[in-house]
Amino acid sequence: MGAQPGVGETVLALDRVSKRFSAEAAAVDSVSLSIRRGEVFTLLGPSGCGKTTTLRLVAGLERPDAGEITLRDRVVASAARRLFVVPNQRNLGMVFQSYAVWPHMTVFENVAYPLRLRGLGKAAVRDRVARVLDLVGLGGLEARPGTLLSGGQMQRLALCRALVYEPDLLLLDEPFSNLDAKLREQMRMEVKLLQRRLGITVLFVTHDQVEALSLSDRIAVMHGGRVEQVGTPRALYERPASAFVRDFLGQTVILSGRVATPASDEATGCVTVAMNGALAGCSLTGRNASPAALAPGSAATVAIRPEDIRVERDDAAPREAHHLLGTIDALSFVGDRYEARVSLGGEHGIVLLLTRAREWREGDRVRLGFPPELVSVWPA
Amino acid sequence: MAGLTGALAAARPRRLELQGLLCTVVLGAVALCVVFPLLLVALQSLQIAPPGQPARYGLDGWRAALGEPGLRSALVNTLTVTLARQLISLPLAVLIAWLLARTDLPARGWIEFAFWAAFFLPPFTVTLSWILLLDPEYGLLNTSIAALPFVGAGPFNIYSFWGIVWVHIVTGSLTVKVILLTPAFRNMNATFEEASRVAGAGTLRTALRITVPVMAPAILSVLLLGTMVSLQTFEVEQVLGLPFRFFVFSTTIYDLLVTRVPRYDAATALAVLILAAMLPLVFAQQRLTRGRRYTTVTGQFQSRVHALGRWRAPATLFVLALVVVVLGIPVVFALLGTFMKLFGFFHVPDPWTLANWQTVLGDELFLRSLHNTLVLSIGTAVVAILVHSLIAYIIVRTSYRGRRLLDFVSWLPFTVPGIILGLALLWLFLGVGFLRPLYGTTALLIVAGVIAGMPLGVQIIRSGLLQLGGELEEASRIAGATWWATYRRIILRLMAPTLLAVGMITFVGAARNIGNFALLTTSANRPLSILQLDYVAQRKFEEAVVVACIIMFVSLAGALLARLVGLRGGGLG
Repeated sequence: MGAQPGVGETVLALDRVSKRFSAEAAAVDSVSLSIRRGEVFTLLGPSGCGKTTTLRLVAGLERPDAGEITLRDRVVASAARRLFVVPNQRNLGMVFQSYAVWPHMTVFENVAYPLRLRGLGKAAVRDRVARVLDLVGLGGLEARPGTLLSGGQMQRLALCRALVYEPDLLLLDEPFSNLDAKLREQMRMEVKLLQRRLGITVLFVTHDQVEALSLSDRIAVMHGGRVEQVGTPRALYERPASAFVRDFLGQTVILSGRVATPASDEATGCVTVAMNGALAGCSLTGRNASPAALAPGSAATVAIRPEDIRVERDDAAPREAHHLLGTIDALSFVGDRYEARVSLGGEHGIVLLLTRAREWREGDRVRLGFPPELVSVWPA
Repeated sequence: MAGLTGALAAARPRRLELQGLLCTVVLGAVALCVVFPLLLVALQSLQIAPPGQPARYGLDGWRAALGEPGLRSALVNTLTVTLARQLISLPLAVLIAWLLARTDLPARGWIEFAFWAAFFLPPFTVTLSWILLLDPEYGLLNTSIAALPFVGAGPFNIYSFWGIVWVHIVTGSLTVKVILLTPAFRNMNATFEEASRVAGAGTLRTALRITVPVMAPAILSVLLLGTMVSLQTFEVEQVLGLPFRFFVFSTTIYDLLVTRVPRYDAATALAVLILAAMLPLVFAQQRLTRGRRYTTVTGQFQSRVHALGRWRAPATLFVLALVVVVLGIPVVFALLGTFMKLFGFFHVPDPWTLANWQTVLGDELFLRSLHNTLVLSIGTAVVAILVHSLIAYIIVRTSYRGRRLLDFVSWLPFTVPGIILGLALLWLFLGVGFLRPLYGTTALLIVAGVIAGMPLGVQIIRSGLLQLGGELEEASRIAGATWWATYRRIILRLMAPTLLAVGMITFVGAARNIGNFALLTTSANRPLSILQLDYVAQRKFEEAVVVACIIMFVSLAGALLARLVGLRGGGLG
C-alpha cells in the first residue's frame, strides 16, 4: 500500500452521533469524527468518557439515538433514517478487552471461524490461518485449546482472528489493559509494526495516555461524552486546546496569578502574568492558550510541562525574568533520574525530574527557568 | 441505491419489532401461567356459591378463613413450625458452612458434596425413614431406649410438633442453607479475617466478630429464602400431622379441596393470606440481593484456612454425625423399610421380605405411574431447558423493556407455595375454555413442573450467561456470524453443561414433586410421587416406601449427574 498514513480516503465517519443509556446524561454526545485509510486513530479519555460506547456504536453493538455512521461509502447506522446494519454485516475486526477467545475452540478454530462463515474452502482456510498465525508468531500452536494460552498469546490470537478476513477497519478496545507492564510495551510495539506493515486502519480505545501517544497517528481526547480535541499526539501534548486535555495528557505544573499590563506583545501573542501569594513580585510570560484575549488584571493560570522547566543550581544569580527560585524539599533517586519535590517561595510544591548527570541534595536552592515559548497562559 | 437503502430502512425496524414481539410473547406466556392463575385464586376467594351453581360473590370464604378455629390454628401452626425450623437450622448451617469453607476440616469437599446430595433427597422418603426410627410405639430408637433399664417408654414421638420440626430440619432447612452459605463463605475476602488474626483475635473471636458480620447480608438472604422454602412443603405435614390432626395451611387447603363438598372459597382465601404474608419477604430478599447476586469472584484464591487445632476431631465428628443424620439415616432406613413385612415392626419374628418389591413392581398401577413419571420428568426437563434459557437470555442479553418484569415474574413461583400454585393452575385449566381439555393430562403436569423449576432454572442459566460475558458473543457477531449462528456455535456450546445441569435438576424436581401436582392429578396422569402419597393415605406404608425409595435413587442419580456436568452449589445462589 505504502500510502502516507492519515492522508487517504475516509474509512469511517461519525456525524453528530449520540447515545444515551439514562435520561440524565448522554454517554456519547454529538460526536463527529472522520478516520482516514491506514491511520491509527485513538479515542482517549478517562473511564466513563464515552470512548468505549463510541467504539461499540461503530461496531454495531449499540444503536445510536441520533446521528449517522458511515463505513467506507455505506451508511451503517442512521437514527434519522431508522437504518441499522447489524455487526456481522459491517466487515469489521475487533479485539476485545477480555480477548473473547472462545474457550471451546482451538487456536486454529478460533481464527478459522470468521473464514468459514465467509464460505471459504478448506484449503484456503488452512492457508490463511497459517499465514496470519505465522505473522504474530503463533505458528505451531494451531491445535492448542484457546484457554491454554498465556495473556500475550491470547491477545495475539484475538488479533489474528480480527485480521484474518482483512476487515475494512480494526477496532481495539483497551487490548493491552490485561497485560503486565513489560508485555504491554512489547505488544504495543508489535501492533504498531504489524499495522505499518499491513497498512490497516485502526480505531483504538484506551485510557492510557502513553499507549495513545506512542501508537496513534491521531488522537481524539474524549470527556463527558464529547470530543474535546482531535490532533496528532505532539500537537495535543504541546498545544492542548482545553485545560482538560492539558491535564489529562502528561504532567503539568500550574501556578496562578493575574494578567499583568496589557497583553504585552501583540506580535508574539505572549501574555505576562504576575504571580500570587508567596511568589508575589515574580512574573512569568507565555503564550495565550485560550482563543479570547485575556483582560489585564483578570485571574489566570500559568502552565508548563515539568520537563520543560530548566533547572539550574542557584548561585545567587540576580533575579531574572522568566525565572523562579525554589528549594528541593525531598529528593528520591528512581534509577534513571531523580524525582524532586521543589517548593517555590515556601508555598507551592511542584514535582520535577532532575538528571542524574549532577549531584543533588535535599535543601539545595535551585533556579527554575520557564521559557516563554513553552509556557501557556489560561484564564482561571 | 436509494431504493436499496429505502428497503433496508424498512426492513431493520421490523426485525427489531420482531424481537420485541417475541420477548413480549414470552413475558405474556409466563405471566399467563404464573400471575394470572394467582389472580384467579384471589378472585375465587370472593366467589361463595358451591361448585356447579351460578357465581355469587361475598366474604364468606374470608370470614371462614379468619374466623374458623381450624383455619386460624392452621395459620398459627404454619408460622410456629417455620419459626422453629429457621431458629434451629440457621445457626447450625452457619457453623457448618464456616467449618466447610474457612477451616482445615478434613474431607470438606466430600462433606459438602454429602450435603448437596442430601438436599436432593425427597422429603417424603426422608419422612418415612424417620418414622421407622421415631414412631412412638415401634420406632427403633424408641424401642432401643425403652429396652434400657429404668426407662418406661421411648421418649420420642414423630407425630408431634417437634417431630415435624425435626423432619423439616433434616430434610431441607439445614441442607439448603449449607449448600447456599458454603460457597458464599468461601468467596469471602480472606484478608478481612487475616487482618483480625494479625490484630490479635483468635479463631473463634474472628469468626464471631468478623466473618459472620461480614457475611450478614448473605446469611439474612439465605434465611429469607429458607423461610420461603419452608412455607412450600406439604408432604411432611400431610404424613406426620394428619394422625394427630395437626394442620398447616398447605394441608388445610388440600383438606378443604379433597373432600366431597370442596370449600373453594375458604381454601383460596387462605391461599391469598399466605401469599400476602410472603410479599414482605419477597421484597426484603430482592432488596438484599440486588446487585450482589452475581458479583463474580476474582481470581484471588485464599489459600489459608484456619487451623482448628484440638477442635479438629470434635468438629469432624460433629459434622460427620450431621451427615449421617441428613444423608445416611434416610437412605439406609428407606432402603431397609422396603424389605419389611410390616413397615416399622423390627421385632416381629423374621421381619424381612422381598414381597414389597415384587408387589409394587408387578402392580399395574405402579407401572402406569412410572410411565407417567418418566414422560413427565423428561418432558419437563426438555421444555424447561428451552423455556428457562429463553427467559434467562432475554433477561441478560437483550435490552427489552419488560425484562425486569420478566425477571421478577420468573422468580415468583419460588415464593408461591406449591399447593397454591397447583390450585392456581387448576383454576386456569378448568376456568379457561381452550385449556380445559388439558386437564388430567401429563401436559398439564409438565406445565406445573416447568413453572415450579423456573426460579432455579432461570437463575442458574442466567448466572452462567453472565459468567460467559457478552464479549464472546459479540466477537462472533463482529467476525460475521448472524445471531442464530452465534447462538448455535458459541452460546449453546459453551452453555451446554449448564443447560444439562438445569435439565437434570428439573428432571429430579418433577420426579419428586408432590406439592405442585397434588391437586392436578387424576387417576390418568398420576405420577409416582402422588402414588406414594396415595399409598400412605391407604396406610400401605410398605408399598409407599418402595416407591419413595425409587424416587430417592432417581433423585440422587440426578444430583450426581448434575454435579458431574459441572454445576456447583454457588450456581444456586
